[in-house]
Amino acid sequence: MAETITVTQLNTRVRSVLSESPTVNDVWVLGELSNLKKYPSGHYYFTLKDSTSEIRGVMFRQSRARIDFEPQDNMKVTAFGKVDLYVERGSYQFIVETMQRSGVGDLYLAYEALKKKLEAEGLFDRSRKRNLPLYPKTIGVVTSPKGAVIHDIITTSGRLFPADIILYPAQVQGEGAAESIAKGIKALNKEGVDVLIVGRGGGSIEDLWAFNEETVARAIAASEAPVISAVGHETDFTIADLVADVRAPTPTGAAELALRDRKEVMKHLDTDMIRVKRSLSGILDRMHYRFRILDSKLSPRRAEQRISMHSMRLDELYSRMNSALKDKIGTMRRRFIKTDSNMDLYVQRMLENDKKDLQRYSERLESINPMKVLDRGYALITDENGKALTSSGKMRIGTDVNIMMKDGKAEAEIKKVEMK
Amino acid sequence: MMEVEEMTFEDSLKMLEQLVNELENGNLELDKALEIYEKAILLRDRCKKILDTCDRKVQMLIETSEGPKKEDFVIE
Repeated sequence: MAETITVTQLNTRVRSVLSESPTVNDVWVLGELSNLKKYPSGHYYFTLKDSTSEIRGVMFRQSRARIDFEPQDNMKVTAFGKVDLYVERGSYQFIVETMQRSGVGDLYLAYEALKKKLEAEGLFDRSRKRNLPLYPKTIGVVTSPKGAVIHDIITTSGRLFPADIILYPAQVQGEGAAESIAKGIKALNKEGVDVLIVGRGGGSIEDLWAFNEETVARAIAASEAPVISAVGHETDFTIADLVADVRAPTPTGAAELALRDRKEVMKHLDTDMIRVKRSLSGILDRMHYRFRILDSKLSPRRAEQRISMHSMRLDELYSRMNSALKDKIGTMRRRFIKTDSNMDLYVQRMLENDKKDLQRYSERLESINPMKVLDRGYALITDENGKALTSSGKMRIGTDVNIMMKDGKAEAEIKKVEMK
Repeated sequence: MMEVEEMTFEDSLKMLEQLVNELENGNLELDKALEIYEKAILLRDRCKKILDTCDRKVQMLIETSEGPKKEDFVIE
């Protein structure tokens, strides 16, 4: 009769069968990593699979020290270890003692060969790198329509200089990815984008492989619009990074390279306007100064009054101009400036007329200046108080008068008065 | 000269800087200075308007049998 055993006994027996079987101990297993979980304990849990089968795997902390790379999902590896059964659960797993990346050697060789070839063609030359447009209207993005890259670019660009975004939904890994990316670069160039961002999120070398293919490199090199590459978050450079005009470390970085910061641009604008205002104030100050000089040169009181009236008006104009400059409302300001500029013209014309008037007055004044008459040999007779005596009726016999001549004066006494 | 309302941001900014330089270097008459000032304000407003646009388009290019087509793209 068959014996009856407990579950624990069964599992323990299976465990010992497994551990004593050389066919599942100390073997190299080729597979792809997936569902990789890194625990704080330092142990890694994952699934090792190929196209038709899978097995749970674990790599304990102490074994991790034996590998010189960071395991990642989708990575092809050959893992060395043994099969063990976890008695409590009755599940078995592969205990990995060490692992190597698989196929990387071939990829690395291909990478190096292409790099050398394109470098010789001068595709990585500094002189080929184009400046990015300062204020692009449209940015093209070649990446997966799902995932963080396009999300980050759209969100980041929201706070940057406003530009339209055209996404080319590309396949960024697996069979046909390189062709899809190259097609996207061409299609977006046809759309007339000003700058291109080409990229994908981080991953293993296999995941990023499309960006190491010649098709993509050639498409980037042929792109009319400058290209920013944003491939992965790692320090490794893909061929695409080397051919691109600029390499961004992250999708967010790529958006920041493509578009200026809105606030910075605004600040720049403000600085320009401050310079405009300062120059204008300078010009106004100079005008003001010129009128002051003119003012002080014109001595006759009437003109002076008119000038100071205009000067006051100019002051007013000046202060209104200043407040107009500070005015925040653009339209109001524009209308106001127009009036002011008309006013100013008016003031200038008035001042010019004044100047002419003044000249005329002063010529007329000159012509009637009594002292001028003395030049011609006439004399001016005044009383003792210097008051001009213009009628013989004002003469009194025996009084003293002064005779003013062009070069001096004399005193005389009235001896006789005859009236006409 | 091009209408300010149709100028690109870059052209507007370039012209604004030219005007600033002209104002700063030239010993200008008030009339001319005011004219430049007026233009500078127009250009500044144009630039601000572009900067303040919120209705930027985010589209996705789709290959169809009649050639590429663009449709609005919304992040999921």
